[in-house]
Amino acid sequence: MNKLARWGLTMPATIAVVVLLVIPVLLTIATTFGEAKGPFSTYAAFFNSGFRRAVLYRTLKVALITTAISLVIGFITAYVIAQMPGRLKSIAIIAAVFPLLTGVVVRSFAWLIILGKNGIINDTLLSTGLITEPLSMLYTEGSVIVAMVYLFVPLMILTLTGVLEGIPRDLIEASASLGAKPVPTFLQVILPLATPGLIVGAVLVFTGSFTSYATPQLLGGEKQMMMGTFLYQRAMVTFDWVGASTIAAIMVVITIAVVTIMSRIARRLNPMAV
Amino acid sequence: MTVSLTIENLSAHYGTTQVLKDLSLSVAAGELVSLLGSSGCGKTTTLRIVAGFLQPTTGTVRLGDRDLTTLPAHARDIGLVFQNYALFPHLSVLDNVAFGLKQRDIGKPERVRRAIAMLERVGLAPLSDRLPSALSGGQKQRVALARALVIEPPLLMFDEPLSNLDAKLRIDMRVEIRQLQRANGTTSLYVTHDQEEAFSISDRVAIMNAGRILQLDTPEVLYRRPANAFVARFVGFENLIRMKVTGREGAMITAEAAGGTRLHLSQDVFGPIKDEFVLAARADGLSVRRDGEGIPATLGTRTYLGRAYQYKCETAAGEITANGALSDPLETGTRAVLTPVAEQCCILDPED
Amino acid sequence: MPTRVHPVLGAFAALVFLFLLAPLVIIVGASLSDTTFLTFPPQGLTLRWFSNIFHVEAFRRTAITSLQVAFLGTALSLLIGIPAAYALNRYRVELPRWLSTLFVLPILVPEIVFGFSLLKSITIGLGLPVYPSLILGHALLVLPYSVRVVGASLASFDFSVEEAARSLGCPPVKTFMTVVLPNIRAGVIAAFILAFITSINDVSVSVFLTGPGISTLPIQILAHMEQFFDPTIASVSVLLMLVTVGVMAVVEATLGLTFLTK
Repeated sequence: MNKLARWGLTMPATIAVVVLLVIPVLLTIATTFGEAKGPFSTYAAFFNSGFRRAVLYRTLKVALITTAISLVIGFITAYVIAQMPGRLKSIAIIAAVFPLLTGVVVRSFAWLIILGKNGIINDTLLSTGLITEPLSMLYTEGSVIVAMVYLFVPLMILTLTGVLEGIPRDLIEASASLGAKPVPTFLQVILPLATPGLIVGAVLVFTGSFTSYATPQLLGGEKQMMMGTFLYQRAMVTFDWVGASTIAAIMVVITIAVVTIMSRIARRLNPMAV
Repeated sequence: MTVSLTIENLSAHYGTTQVLKDLSLSVAAGELVSLLGSSGCGKTTTLRIVAGFLQPTTGTVRLGDRDLTTLPAHARDIGLVFQNYALFPHLSVLDNVAFGLKQRDIGKPERVRRAIAMLERVGLAPLSDRLPSALSGGQKQRVALARALVIEPPLLMFDEPLSNLDAKLRIDMRVEIRQLQRANGTTSLYVTHDQEEAFSISDRVAIMNAGRILQLDTPEVLYRRPANAFVARFVGFENLIRMKVTGREGAMITAEAAGGTRLHLSQDVFGPIKDEFVLAARADGLSVRRDGEGIPATLGTRTYLGRAYQYKCETAAGEITANGALSDPLETGTRAVLTPVAEQCCILDPED
Repeated sequence: MPTRVHPVLGAFAALVFLFLLAPLVIIVGASLSDTTFLTFPPQGLTLRWFSNIFHVEAFRRTAITSLQVAFLGTALSLLIGIPAAYALNRYRVELPRWLSTLFVLPILVPEIVFGFSLLKSITIGLGLPVYPSLILGHALLVLPYSVRVVGASLASFDFSVEEAARSLGCPPVKTFMTVVLPNIRAGVIAAFILAFITSINDVSVSVFLTGPGISTLPIQILAHMEQFFDPTIASVSVLLMLVTVGVMAVVEATLGLTFLTK
């Protein structure tokens, strides 16, 4: 009876995930090995093409830079929020949640207004006479990174605020009672205890930016093709489904590898577990 | 270098609620004083102010001739043992104990040597490489103790250190804490809500309520001669009976309670007795007998305590809890008398 | 945490919040500009771009589709997610560990890969029409929220209460509805909100599952932007932000916003 109940209750969700996600994704990956020129020919083609390699490297680079910047900004901000008194803290959290709940299209669009040829920055610089020709800031790696940092900083702030608030106050008091000044307390107690959380936050941002579509589409365009936009272009513009599947497979492998390796490291570093 | 702790006229507020009211206390060099009271009495607030985690509204805290009142916590040099140990989960037992020495810029070989020596004293040297998560509650408490002691602080403070341990371990640990504290002669302030723990471990105990110290005395004095009704109830005098002296004859007095109950008491036993007083009696302090002199009572529910039977008794002076002999169990509804047993009773001034 | 913050850190955090909120303010400003191009600060004030939204039929149609898909997809995910979350917590020991990993796969697998695979295997491979594909895709996309968020509140639920109800003669399903469900209400609401927001904002999955006459609002906005760069987009964005404000008000009223940091 119990056995029936527990399998019966999980069955619909299990079937849904297997039928709609696991099998389709495995089929996508499987098609990449079915080429007439040999099982790995599409991967050879991918890595032999300078253009495709560049897309992968660019995507990795943009994701890494986005992660690093978000980590620094997010950690400092979360540290400040964690020490705010109650009322101010709620306001700060609302201010971070609001952009997070606003859609990715809207948030990326804002940067089109800011960075565009007739955007705010160009307008301001032109009217002050600092430049005479508008700068082309859109469709550069920089514009994609700025928008992605904007996209992911709220997530980082909320994750890390939770992490910092989860560090028992007692430990910080114990550190002080043993004579540690604020900076040593930060370096020897707070930072090591926050590291697993920092890794989790970094993984969220890295995979999020590595697999993003809307932001590179809007702010990178054709010029700054990234894995997400490249996949879409192969699949829906050139209808090269095997090529698109190859991109998909590479994305899945990298994402899952990063997640499993990093979460294993985070778990090993997490003394609070057990 | 044992020094005394002096707390003067401390008051503290959380928002608009006053949690400490003009509290003064001094702990002599080498002495262990407990703050005892139920939650919300201000004992933990006092400890946190001394530790430097809270700022008092008014008052000063001095350790020897150093004024600590405005010093940040990390500059106070106080060893603190936390209720839930507060061991650094990312550091080994050894690194936890050596943490305070590291902050004092003591070189690695020296701090390892001292930390190991301290771990040996608490019997944990073999576990020095473990992480706190791999320790039992008692072991964690020993590490916390070693960590606080190894910095050789002039003052040790304990915040309910045994409340997370099981009963047997609690008794072992309090003996161990007492031994270590005695051996080092460190002035100590100990916070607990457990009366037995406070009495067994302390030189003196301060019983606190609503932000004040009601009585500060040795456990023996507190146990036998509480200064007021609150302390009396706290140390187990369950029955408080208001009485008036109606006659004096040498050392003997005759006193009457409400309902005309009459008792004869000796001032040789209880000390001088004023015309109006309160007789405080533990359940053992009123012996339930079939007849004789005492407070007439009708027996109610009887419970078995192992060493005696306990009765809820109806008397003219109100409901009283009293114990009777195992050899003679009495039924509910029996008419009996309650005879005072001098060593389990005391005399208090009436309060209004 | 100690209570004092270095002023430099405080100033840094203030700049971060400026960085977070300024772009949204700029969108609001741009939506009010009386110009045919996007600009900030607005030149002249008008609400005509808001009324223009209602004149562009595609916006109205895709907005309705988005709402329908978000409601149906979220409801479907809760319908299959709550029993799964319940079983995972109730029978934690008996169920294999990979099962809980399975239910977070929709987050783990890149959305864009999921969308593409769904299109390839289900919509085209099995010939399922676009609209149900879209709903199924969104239901699966938000399934992790249903399982994880509801699961988090079940984790702190004392199942002996359920046993108490059973011992008093309450049958299993009725026990779940009258004893368990009211106690995990907060988790269900939170899961619904997070799932709904995720669904309505989704691009990466929807971008593959749109066909002739069927599209979602974010996809429509992207398409519109490729042709026109007028303040209409800004005013649509403002309306979407108002939806977010509404959702946050609901969260605040039911759970308190600090819920979201947990």
